[in-house]
Amino acid sequence: MRSLQREPGVLLALLAVIALVAVFIVYPQLRVIATPGAGYVDFITGGTWVRSTWQSIQVMVLSTTTAVLLGFVFAYGMVYTNMPWKRFFRVIGILPLLSPPFVVAAAYVILFGPRGLISYGIFGQTLNIFGLGGIWGVQTIAFFPFAYQLIADVLTRSDARLEQAARNLGAGPWQVFRSVTLPLSRPGLGAAILTTAIYVLEDFGNPALIGGTYTVLPTQAYGLISGFGDLPGATAVSTLLLGLALVLYVAKIRLDGGRSFVTVSGRASSMPRPPVPVALTWTCFIACLMLSVVIITVYGSLLVSALTLNFPTVLTPTMQHFEYITTGTNGTALQNTLVFGLAAATFSAGFALLAGWLVERGAWRGRRVLDFLLIMPAAIPGLFFGIGYATAFNEPWLDWLDRGVLIIISMIFWNIPVGYQAAVAGLRQIDRTMDEAATSLGASSLRGFRDVIVPMLGGSLRVGFVTTFVRAVTTLSVVIFLFTPSSTVATIRIFQLVNDLNFGRATAFTVADIGLAIMALSIMAVLARGRIALGAARA
Amino acid sequence: MTPVLDRRTFLKGLGVVTVAAACGGAATPTATSTAATSTAAATAAPVAGTISVYSALNESTNNEFFGAFKKAFPNVTVNVLPLAAAGELQTRIKTEAASPKADIFIGGSSEFHDPLGKAGLLEAYIAPNAKDIDAKFKEATGLWTGWYTGIFGFISNNDRLSKELGNKKPATWDDLLDPSWKGKLVLPDPVKTGGGYIFIATQIFRFNKDEAKAMDFMKKLHANIAQYVATSPGALTLIDQGQFVGCPNWAHDILTEKGKGNPIDLSIPSDTGFEVGAVSIVKGTKNLAAAQALVNWSITKEAGELNVKLSNRGSTRTDVAPAAGSPKLSDVKLVNYDRQWATDNKDRLLKLWQQTVGL
Repeated sequence: MRSLQREPGVLLALLAVIALVAVFIVYPQLRVIATPGAGYVDFITGGTWVRSTWQSIQVMVLSTTTAVLLGFVFAYGMVYTNMPWKRFFRVIGILPLLSPPFVVAAAYVILFGPRGLISYGIFGQTLNIFGLGGIWGVQTIAFFPFAYQLIADVLTRSDARLEQAARNLGAGPWQVFRSVTLPLSRPGLGAAILTTAIYVLEDFGNPALIGGTYTVLPTQAYGLISGFGDLPGATAVSTLLLGLALVLYVAKIRLDGGRSFVTVSGRASSMPRPPVPVALTWTCFIACLMLSVVIITVYGSLLVSALTLNFPTVLTPTMQHFEYITTGTNGTALQNTLVFGLAAATFSAGFALLAGWLVERGAWRGRRVLDFLLIMPAAIPGLFFGIGYATAFNEPWLDWLDRGVLIIISMIFWNIPVGYQAAVAGLRQIDRTMDEAATSLGASSLRGFRDVIVPMLGGSLRVGFVTTFVRAVTTLSVVIFLFTPSSTVATIRIFQLVNDLNFGRATAFTVADIGLAIMALSIMAVLARGRIALGAARA
Repeated sequence: MTPVLDRRTFLKGLGVVTVAAACGGAATPTATSTAATSTAAATAAPVAGTISVYSALNESTNNEFFGAFKKAFPNVTVNVLPLAAAGELQTRIKTEAASPKADIFIGGSSEFHDPLGKAGLLEAYIAPNAKDIDAKFKEATGLWTGWYTGIFGFISNNDRLSKELGNKKPATWDDLLDPSWKGKLVLPDPVKTGGGYIFIATQIFRFNKDEAKAMDFMKKLHANIAQYVATSPGALTLIDQGQFVGCPNWAHDILTEKGKGNPIDLSIPSDTGFEVGAVSIVKGTKNLAAAQALVNWSITKEAGELNVKLSNRGSTRTDVAPAAGSPKLSDVKLVNYDRQWATDNKDRLLKLWQQTVGL
């Protein structure tokens, strides 16, 4: 990228990105933090946050470790081995992202609780899944897909020639993995760890349902609002979370250092990867299979619940739950969910890629600030992102603004981080000579970005699109302060049904929601095939 | 696409409101006659237009309840925003103070309405029908009006109760301290749910505000409690499934669960507490006449009976019979529940409780 003065187009793009981030990420959060009230100070001096902060950190370390490990095994199996059933695993790898956690956590209790259908019914064990152990297990499965997506994207781009070269020089498969594959996937790994850690930190649904007395910061914040309407106290918790995220971010920057992770250079490589030992392939296969069994059991139970009168006590088959979800405003809610999700995902993925390019390839000052601001939304619990928007954009002069549009905007910016991280990680693997080749042939930097970089970053674009879409489809907390009767979404309806103790209808709604989301994603994948070659064809 | 549709509905709504406002000035005879057809209407202002209702009522109640209101006031369009979580609705109303989007906040214990009134976000209105409501069920200046009641009871899982506890339901809250209950009880988390807090406050009133005795009880009870559950309905589900054996919870919700065929039962230990479900008008409402009509209508006998049928809750009116299987408020031994004191001391008591049980 040339200097900004010589490229007004890039300068304009940068200013636009900065303006959007300022208005839609920074400003609403400042409004939240600036909530007036003595409760803020009282809360900090009260000290009830110390325990939840410590527990938040504890659970973050545990869940992140296992989720990233699992994500890595899954990604390695999918990208490097020729194990069977990859199509099936690809769906499994996205399923946990596609459902509101409060329904899934309830399914875990039904299956693995003290009188769980499986734990007690089959094995006769009285498990206590409430507490740290339960959160750890459920979060591992809930968040491994993020790590899987980010790591797979990076592994796909790692250069087969380097690995072949290492093998030719006499290195064994394990040595190649340890000294070539692993180090080169560090940007993706770092992004995966950071993102997973921040999402675990911010997770509310799982700890709320199976945390029991094990309180973490988001559940404490929710309790303050839900039980007591103590907004100042709750915003103090939100600020604490942001502080923790900042610490993680700085740690990651330190770890990355100034190394180069370039694996894609000017010349195209059509060389196949060196074969992976059969034993390793089968180990990966079995690991993926076991994970799939757990996921299928949990989601299968949702389907059974949707098709029976009152699961798990009354197992009479019925279609009435599915009939219900087509009545009244329920259809609107499903339709809104898809429209909002697709719109948010499209804009968010594109914006993340552009912002990633400006930050990663730019040489201007203050890049790091923008970098952090684009990762920060991951650490803002949806609750506060929603409250921020409700406070900042609920002014009389903004009443013309459609709430559906506001919800889409909130989803775009709340979900920026993963797409952005993927874009940055991807760019770090692409040699700068690629950009320079374009510019020295007379193209502007922006044109080089559009014609050279974007096509090569199809995978990152896809990661951004998919994660934004699934998070937009499954989020409750962001929308809860923004929705209106005509802009209601599926998660709001599901939440309402769960609170009304209608698990049958809630699960039917969830199944329909997941089904529609998978359909939408498949259609998008087909449409994108050929155009975003790297994204659709690999991983 | 939906957004377009939204804008159209919005503009239409705006038009209706404008017309209604214009009518308000002229006080047209047609509008007055509409109001007269209703059994409840006593307001002179014409009742028409659109109102936006933030409802914390159960999903199963909303449709029929507001449907009945529309029958009584055919010229009013009710836009219900259903969210069975009163704390979130309260927070929404707070964050929307700059440009209120709700006209009515209905449902949820009065504890959720009262702070909004104190913050100046509610419009006072003493409904004509409020004369039939006891003073303890309404705010004196009309900031909120209590229209239903809920009693705190006890849910138990039939199968496990008979096998593991000799089918002995608790007659008093003290019965729950028996070691045989150890690890078999759950309680809605007092810090996260209104119900859990009302349970603690009930104990304090039971011991005549002797906080030390009440905390001693909570500490002993803590030894028997397996889980503090994040939501009150969530705790019921755990008993339905037999994950645990018993839980103090809302009697009306327990009855509803029993009605669905779950193997559970309701009992009411003596000296129990109760909630008053409220309705209030949000300050800045664009349709005061219709909002007032809804408040006044919700404390009619007709609305009270409908709500009893839909939700198993009681009515604040003495002439409305409780649901089948549900005790009458006057037949149950209640503690002398000082609502104002409980609201004012909430933060302090919860901290005290947290220190007592070490959470």
